[in-house]
Amino acid sequence: MYQFASFVFLLGFLFLISVITGFLPLGEPPMLVGQVIQNNAASETGASNFVTSVVLGYRGIDTLGELSILFAAATAGSLVLSGLKQKSIESGDAGFLVKSASELFFPLLIVVGLYIVLHGHLTPGGGFQGGVILAAAFFLPLLAKPSKSINSLALGLIEGLSGAAFIIIGLIALFNEGAFLKPFFENGELGSLISSGTLPLLYIAVGLKVGAELASLLNLLNQEEVNDS
Amino acid sequence: MKHYIILTVILPLLVAFLLPTIGRFSYFLARALPPIILIFSIVITACVYNNETAPFALHIGDFVAPQGIVFHVDSISLLMALSVQVFALFLWPRRSFKLQSEQIVSNKRYSLMLLLVASANGLAFSGDLFNLYVFYELLAVATFGLISFDTNEANQARFAAAFRYLVISATGSVMALLGIALVYFLTGTLNFAHLATQQANLFNPIGLSAFALLLVGFGVKAELFPVNSWVPEVYSAASKKLSGYLAGVISKLAVLVIIKALLFIFPHSEAAYLMLGLGLAGLLIGELSAMRSNDFTRMISWSSVAQLGLVFIAFSIPGQAGIIAGLAVLFHHMFVKTALFLIAEKWGGRISDLHGQGYLNLIMSGIFIFVALSLIGLPPLPGFWSKFLLLNGLAGQEYYFAIAIILITTVIEVNYLFRVANHLFSREDKPVLPINNHHWFDTLTASLIVVALIVAVWELPTINDQLIIMSDQLLDIESYVNRVLISTENGL
Repeated sequence: MYQFASFVFLLGFLFLISVITGFLPLGEPPMLVGQVIQNNAASETGASNFVTSVVLGYRGIDTLGELSILFAAATAGSLVLSGLKQKSIESGDAGFLVKSASELFFPLLIVVGLYIVLHGHLTPGGGFQGGVILAAAFFLPLLAKPSKSINSLALGLIEGLSGAAFIIIGLIALFNEGAFLKPFFENGELGSLISSGTLPLLYIAVGLKVGAELASLLNLLNQEEVNDS
Repeated sequence: MKHYIILTVILPLLVAFLLPTIGRFSYFLARALPPIILIFSIVITACVYNNETAPFALHIGDFVAPQGIVFHVDSISLLMALSVQVFALFLWPRRSFKLQSEQIVSNKRYSLMLLLVASANGLAFSGDLFNLYVFYELLAVATFGLISFDTNEANQARFAAAFRYLVISATGSVMALLGIALVYFLTGTLNFAHLATQQANLFNPIGLSAFALLLVGFGVKAELFPVNSWVPEVYSAASKKLSGYLAGVISKLAVLVIIKALLFIFPHSEAAYLMLGLGLAGLLIGELSAMRSNDFTRMISWSSVAQLGLVFIAFSIPGQAGIIAGLAVLFHHMFVKTALFLIAEKWGGRISDLHGQGYLNLIMSGIFIFVALSLIGLPPLPGFWSKFLLLNGLAGQEYYFAIAIILITTVIEVNYLFRVANHLFSREDKPVLPINNHHWFDTLTASLIVVALIVAVWELPTINDQLIIMSDQLLDIESYVNRVLISTENGL
C-alpha cells in the first residue's frame, strides 16, 4: 500500500516537474541581480572569480550558514555514532600498494588543497573544495593504517578556531566599518594573489573548517570500527 | 544600536563553534556560557524593540539591496526573535553529567541548541528567500541531532523517529529549493522587496506551483497537512522540553516564512485558497487523531498539528483581519503548547495511567485545566479572543464551511482534553500510579505561562493595538520595499 502510494506520488511529482519545465522559457532567464553583480563584482570586491565575490561578499552570511550546517551535521553525526556499538572488523595494515600510494599522495594533496584554498578568489575553487581535498589528504594515512587515528583534540581546536575566525573577521568589520562581514583592507590589483581585501582570509577559515570537520567525521567513523575489538 | 541586532544570530553561532573545544577544558564554562549568551541577545533584542527604530533594514556587508542580503527588522520579527530566545532560556536542558564521555556528548547538545536558536533568529529577520532557506536547513539539521541525542539508554525509537523525520524533511527541502529555483528563474532575484516589485512575472501557473512547492517545503517544520506525519513520533520520542520548543516556537518561524512568501510574492486568491484547504485538512486530521490517541504526548502533538491548521486558516483570510487573527492564534498557541509539553515531561504516556494524579499534584493539574480551557476557547481567556478574531475574519469573507469545521473540531477538542481531566480527578477505586513530581523549574515555567495568559486578559486592548501595528507593518509592502531597496543610498 505504502509502496503504491509513494509510486503515485513519484509519478505525480515527475509529471509536475515535466509540465513546469515545458512551460519555462529556457535560455532567456531574466538577469536582474545577476547582471548587476557581473558588472560590479570586480570593482566592488576585487575578486577576479565572481563566484567568490558572491559566496564571500554579497552573500557572505549564506556561507556562514552553510558552514554552520556542516558543523551541525558533523556534530549530529558524532552524537549518533558515539551511541552505536559496532562489531569490529579485523583491520591490519592495508598492504604495500595503498601504503606507498598514501605516502606519495599525502604531500601532493596537501599542496593542491592549500593552493585551491589560497587561490579561491582568483580561479575556480575555494575554501569548500580545497577543504575537502585537505580532509582527503589526512584520511589517506588512516586508510593505510586503520589502527592509527588523528588527534581529535587538535582537530576540534582547528575546527572551532577557524569557524570563530570567520565570525571574528565579520565582527571586526561590524565594529570598525559598521556592517557585519563588510570586506575591509584594500582591494589591491585585480588578479594578484594578495587582493580583494578580506575574502582570501575568509576562504582560508572556510577551508580549514571544512577540512577539519570532514577529517574528524572520517576519523570518528574509523574509530567506531576499530574500537572494542 | 540597530546594527547590533545581527549579534543575536552571530554570537550563538560563535559560541556553538567553540563550545566542544571549551567543554574539553572546563565543563562548567560550557554549561554556563550558552545561557549567558542567550541573556545577552535577549537584552540586545529588547533594547532594539524599545528604541522605536523598528522597522528598519540592515544591509549585511554594506552591499546594496537586491545583490546583497538584507535583514528586515520589524516588530513582528523582533517579537519572534525575543520569544525564540526567552523560551530557549526557560526550556534549556539542565541535566548535568558526571562521566567525562557523557559531558562531551552533552556539550555537543548545547552547541546544537545554540545553532537552533541562531537559525531561528535568522529566520525571523532575514529578508532574502535563499538566506531563509539556508537558516531553515540549519534549523533542520540541528533538530535531527537534538532529537537523536541520548546519553545512556540505547533508545532505538529516537533514532527511528529522527531518521523518518530526516527523510520527510529532506524531501521538503528539495521541494522548497525547487520552488526557490523557479522563483529565481521567473524573476531573476531572491530579495523579498525586489520580488514584491516583480510579482507580475509570477502570476501564472508556474508561479503558483512554485508557491505550492514552497508551501509544502517550508510546511514540514510548520506541521502543514500532507507533510506532518513525523509530528507525533518525533515529539513523543524526543525529550519533552525539546518537543515543546519545536511545537511551540520553532514551527511558528516556518509559518512566518510562508506568510512572508504569501504576502510579498504570491498575493493571489489561488494561493490563499490552497493554504486554506491544507489548513482545514490539517485541523480535521489533527483533532480526529488527537481524539483517538491514548497517549498523552501523542494527543498534544496531534493537537499542535490542528492548532497550526488554525493558524494557516487564519492567514489565508485576505487583508488585515486575517493577519491579526493569525498572529493572535499563533502567539496564543506558542504559550499554551509549551505549557502542555512541560506537563507531559512527567505525564507523558498512557492517559489512563494518569487517573487520580490530580489529587497528588494539584498545581500541575490546575495548570493543565487552565491551559486546556484557554486552548478550547472559553471566554474570557485569551484563547477565546484569538478564536473569536479568527471566526470573525472568516465570517467577513463568508467562509461558512471553514467556520463549521472549526466549531465542530472545537467540540472534539473539548472531548479529548476533558477525557484527560476526567482521568486526573477520577474517583475510581484503583491504586494511583506513582509518578515523580515535575522539576520545580518546569513547574515555575508553566506557572509563568499561566500568569502571562491571565495578564493577557487584562491587557487585551494593548495586545490588540500591538497586533494592529504588527499587521500594518506586514501589510505595508510599499514602505518595506522603500526601506530595503533605497535606504542604502542615504548612508543607512
